[in-house]
Amino acid sequence: MTSTPEPNNNVPSRLDPEPMPRRDFLGLSALFAAGSTLFFALLGMLRLPKTAVLSSPTKKFPVVLPETLAPGEAFIPAGRAVALFKDEKGVHAISTTCTHLGCVVKANNEGFECPCHGSRFAKDGSVTKGPAPQPLPWLQVSHNGDKWVVDESTTVPKGTNAT
Amino acid sequence: MSTTPNQANSGLAQILKNLQALPEQLRNATFRSGKPNTDRTRSTFVFGNLFLHLHSVRTHLWSLRWTTTMGLGIATTAAFLITLVTGILLMFYYKPYPDVAYQSIKDIYFVVPTGQFIRNIHRWAANVMVVTVILHMARAFYTAAYRAPREFNWLLGIGLLAITLGLSFTGYLLPWDQLAYWAITIGANIAQSPRELTDALGITKYFDPGGLIRLILLGSDTVGAEALIRFYLLHIMLLPLALGMLMGVHFWRIRKDGGLARPVDAEARLGNLPTTSYPVFSQAPTKTYQLAAIVKGKTAVVGRAPEATVPSMPHLFYAELAVLMFTIFICVALALISDAPLKELANPSVPENPAKAPWYFLGLQELVSFSAFMGGIGVPTIVMAGLGLIPFLDRETNGTGEWFGGTGGKKLVAWSIVFGLAAPLLIESFAIHFGWIREWFPKTPQLIITFINPATILTLVYALYSVYLVKSYKSTRAGALGLFTCFLCGFLVLTIIGTYFRGPNWTFYWSMSDWPKH
Amino acid sequence: MDKNKHLLFWSSIAALIMLVFAALSESFWKDWQQIQKSARADGSSIDVHLRQLVIPELNTTDRCVTCHVSMAPGEQSTTGNRALVAHKNVVHDPSVFGCTICHAGQGQATKKEDAHGLAEFWPEPMLPLQASYAGCGRCHTPLAIPSSTVLAKGKTLFERYDCLACHRMDGRGATIRPDGGGMEGPDLSKVGIKGYDIGWYEKHAQKHQQAESEPWKNSFGSIPEVDQKDINVFLATCVAAPKLVEAKALFNSLGCLGCHKVSGVGGDAGTDLSRSGYKDPGQLDFSHIPGAHTLSNWLAEHFRSPGALVAGSQMPAMGLNEEQIQLLTIYVLSLRRKDIPSSFLPKDRARAMQFGEREFTKDGATLYGTFCAACHGQKGQGVRYPGTQSFPAISSPEFLSLASDEFLTETIRQGRAGRLMPGWDKSSGLKADEIKAIVTYLRQLGGNTNYNVETTPARWVKADANLGAKLYSASCSGCHGAKGQGGEGPALNNKTFLNTATDTFLLQTISKGRPNTPMAAFEQASPVRPALSQKEIESIIAHIRTWKGE
Repeated sequence: MTSTPEPNNNVPSRLDPEPMPRRDFLGLSALFAAGSTLFFALLGMLRLPKTAVLSSPTKKFPVVLPETLAPGEAFIPAGRAVALFKDEKGVHAISTTCTHLGCVVKANNEGFECPCHGSRFAKDGSVTKGPAPQPLPWLQVSHNGDKWVVDESTTVPKGTNAT
Repeated sequence: MSTTPNQANSGLAQILKNLQALPEQLRNATFRSGKPNTDRTRSTFVFGNLFLHLHSVRTHLWSLRWTTTMGLGIATTAAFLITLVTGILLMFYYKPYPDVAYQSIKDIYFVVPTGQFIRNIHRWAANVMVVTVILHMARAFYTAAYRAPREFNWLLGIGLLAITLGLSFTGYLLPWDQLAYWAITIGANIAQSPRELTDALGITKYFDPGGLIRLILLGSDTVGAEALIRFYLLHIMLLPLALGMLMGVHFWRIRKDGGLARPVDAEARLGNLPTTSYPVFSQAPTKTYQLAAIVKGKTAVVGRAPEATVPSMPHLFYAELAVLMFTIFICVALALISDAPLKELANPSVPENPAKAPWYFLGLQELVSFSAFMGGIGVPTIVMAGLGLIPFLDRETNGTGEWFGGTGGKKLVAWSIVFGLAAPLLIESFAIHFGWIREWFPKTPQLIITFINPATILTLVYALYSVYLVKSYKSTRAGALGLFTCFLCGFLVLTIIGTYFRGPNWTFYWSMSDWPKH
Repeated sequence: MDKNKHLLFWSSIAALIMLVFAALSESFWKDWQQIQKSARADGSSIDVHLRQLVIPELNTTDRCVTCHVSMAPGEQSTTGNRALVAHKNVVHDPSVFGCTICHAGQGQATKKEDAHGLAEFWPEPMLPLQASYAGCGRCHTPLAIPSSTVLAKGKTLFERYDCLACHRMDGRGATIRPDGGGMEGPDLSKVGIKGYDIGWYEKHAQKHQQAESEPWKNSFGSIPEVDQKDINVFLATCVAAPKLVEAKALFNSLGCLGCHKVSGVGGDAGTDLSRSGYKDPGQLDFSHIPGAHTLSNWLAEHFRSPGALVAGSQMPAMGLNEEQIQLLTIYVLSLRRKDIPSSFLPKDRARAMQFGEREFTKDGATLYGTFCAACHGQKGQGVRYPGTQSFPAISSPEFLSLASDEFLTETIRQGRAGRLMPGWDKSSGLKADEIKAIVTYLRQLGGNTNYNVETTPARWVKADANLGAKLYSASCSGCHGAKGQGGEGPALNNKTFLNTATDTFLLQTISKGRPNTPMAAFEQASPVRPALSQKEIESIIAHIRTWKGE
């Protein structure tokens, strides 16, 4: 083997017959144009998977509470993950979707319990046991004639009662 | 235009002759080389075939030993091919729309000829794939096959593991039964669990990656028709495509990285070479390659000759085919023994109790029952990152290609098994017996529970153990051996606890017969 | 490399054997194939293939006819296997309604256990054969069902006046004809569905008078108007589901609605039963129940001892016999209402939904049976179940002569504070005329005892309320509360009671007590206290009258 000759940039070698020019404005701008077009197209495509409005059912719904609902007893409107309570202070609604991983919690005498990972909540929604990171949120309730309107999308501070 | 009858005759006769030669011509056009009965034609048989040319023409005898790989990689591929074929068959009948999906599975079960059987095979092959991909990874790890120059393939392997689990998980929703619905609800909320952190910091309003991932995954704020079609798309299109592409690179890389990892003295260990193999390279290194000019390093083969090789055709292909058929046999047998489950139609207002994910996620579910974020995202990310880092931290060379090779060896692995099993058992029994921080101090801020819980403590204990090993053995490989063994043992213990010892409300029960009836 | 060849060979052979086995069991060894192969129609074998009834409107696919071939429309003549019996003639054509809409079970299934819904994870198994009529409840709401006694009376009259001589009813009758011929009159089994001719009696009587020969001449005789009415009540219940009607009649006699609600009517002490026929057997505890894990078995056991199956259940064991338990099980199973497309909505359910028509007849006996009998007893004698409050007798002449209609009506309307007696006009949904019918019936039960207005004005007591206060706290406050708020005994300090109970009622109740309740007769001495004189009792009344009602 002979020693490697010094590379001569001006003379095309057998190993590098066509050296890349140091400034190829046309080539660079063409690549840049292609790149930015594709990048912009990608941005547009990333917008697609999120709809402008979700197809989920309306978050506000009316409820008629049974007259015989005892204080401290939960009333669960059919098909909703909300528990309503009525006492002398008024009516309040607590979400029954576990703040841990979204299972529907069950109301019992002490409060709520989650079947999935054993979180327990007190009557006012605060966590007493288990992995739930947040208390069950209180939801906005308003009075409308003989109906109570629950708004699942609006939370209110704990202890807020509607009358 | 006038032709003599003679010419016409000879023209027709020619066509007739060509027709007679058609089968042979067709074969030649398709396969080019003749029967693979000499070393040369065997070689052309391999590189003249798109599907086979991922293999090198000759295979080292070390690679063909059963104990080298146990065929786990091929078994994983075979399981994937089985799910691919059966999956396409199931797509003939499956309708990805809530309730209708459930009915279509019922129809597959009851009236589609062999439908139930195909679905069983699909389900079992998926399970087999998860098992073999984990074992394959363990094989690659314990034989130190991840070391240079195979670091990138190790990373690809981690990606393939993640996609395999992703395929299993997305397939889980499709039947739209109770199990599916609640497993996916839980899964989607795990994706949302970075909120646990952002909520605690009070920045969810401005920065909510968890909510965004969940929204993109479900297409809505509840598991419904949008989520089903998205999971369907992922399951039948995006993930298999990604898996296929990564698999292609993974296989190609095996060849480019010099075949399977083997000990330096592999040839010596093989003992006397069989008489059927004969030296190739040392006797015929005269071939010149035009591309040799741009290949790095020395010329292709100089001096050292990998003589202990046999033609891949047929030796390697018998091995691969055997593993493929064995995997098919296992899947078919399992499919005959046990039916794929289908529970009640999904009911969004009553969760399953307990709502259990497929077995390979139950370890994760066990972690999640301590903290959604750390169990579902934090610890898995740390594990994945740790696995990915291993080949870059362990730059040692001794023991490559040997089972439990490297510093520490079998003895270290044995001790690590003891430690790896004991640590989660102790931590779990403590948590089950005494509860956790919130039961003692109900006012504890969530941030503390997120970062100090059995899941993070277990991770920390494993990490400290590994650091201790690195220090006392003065070897990264020793630490890695310990850590990986611990990781497998932890996975095993948590999975078993999650599968057999958790009942309604995720409460600990010694046996399923103790579960309370409602 | 022979090892690999061995592995390849044996794996392939084993897989092949299993695939052949799977193919055989798929193609030749299915139960339904065996059944169809054994089937014969008109002496020849039938085509072996999957059969089904698909009703898109009801979203049902019923492959039941794959095994029960002869139950498919037009295949009645197929015979052979045990499964191949023709369906009995019913109102609903299976080709229009399918099978599972009535019988439940898993219509898509083609294996017996799965189809009958006895498999795991199928929440809606088939109704047992003896409870088939419960399936009607999915769409229908039998209306105007009287109590068992009233129903039995109508049925007996129907037979006693020999209506079965000419008419058919639930497969009976119209056989004994003097000339041995067929039936003269129409089949009355379904007469309650379309409605019977209200003037049937006059038309019958007219024909009878004009007739010169059999059967009109001698087979028909006059029927008194009272009996006509009872027969009419019976006819209205003839909806081709006699067992379900019988079951509902029993439900309307035992007073179940006193505590339970069905479709918004009934008390609140027990669970709402409106959809209790849909309980998922997979969610029930069968550890103490012999036999199959079906909802009907669970319900039957539940009626035997409610407390043993449902922890904390307030429901007392009602002491029912097996026949009653079977009927009640059928009725509860029939409470399986589901949403159905309006084109399938039956008239009775539409009438109940749109026009508020009642599921019970509005005669006093039925209303009393439906709402009151469980607590106050079939004859109003009062009941005490182990472990519950005692329920007072309300039909004794002593009580009824003291209680004004107003007192009775208001007590029924508003309920008794602190007792299980709910307010019946509020959430429990009784109407004014129904309450009136109950009061009237109560007086009948008590031997037509009326409240004597002339001899006892509402308020006449004038006595020392201070003395009364002392006596009250010594003798009464233990049960009725220091301020009359109630305790073991009912609350006295409530508006309804204070407004409607007369002084005489109070005086008599205190001095004579209430039979079958802890309320003792205070005019007699007991080991723990001396007797109270009339003056002292009057002073207690004066004290009670100082309350304003809370």
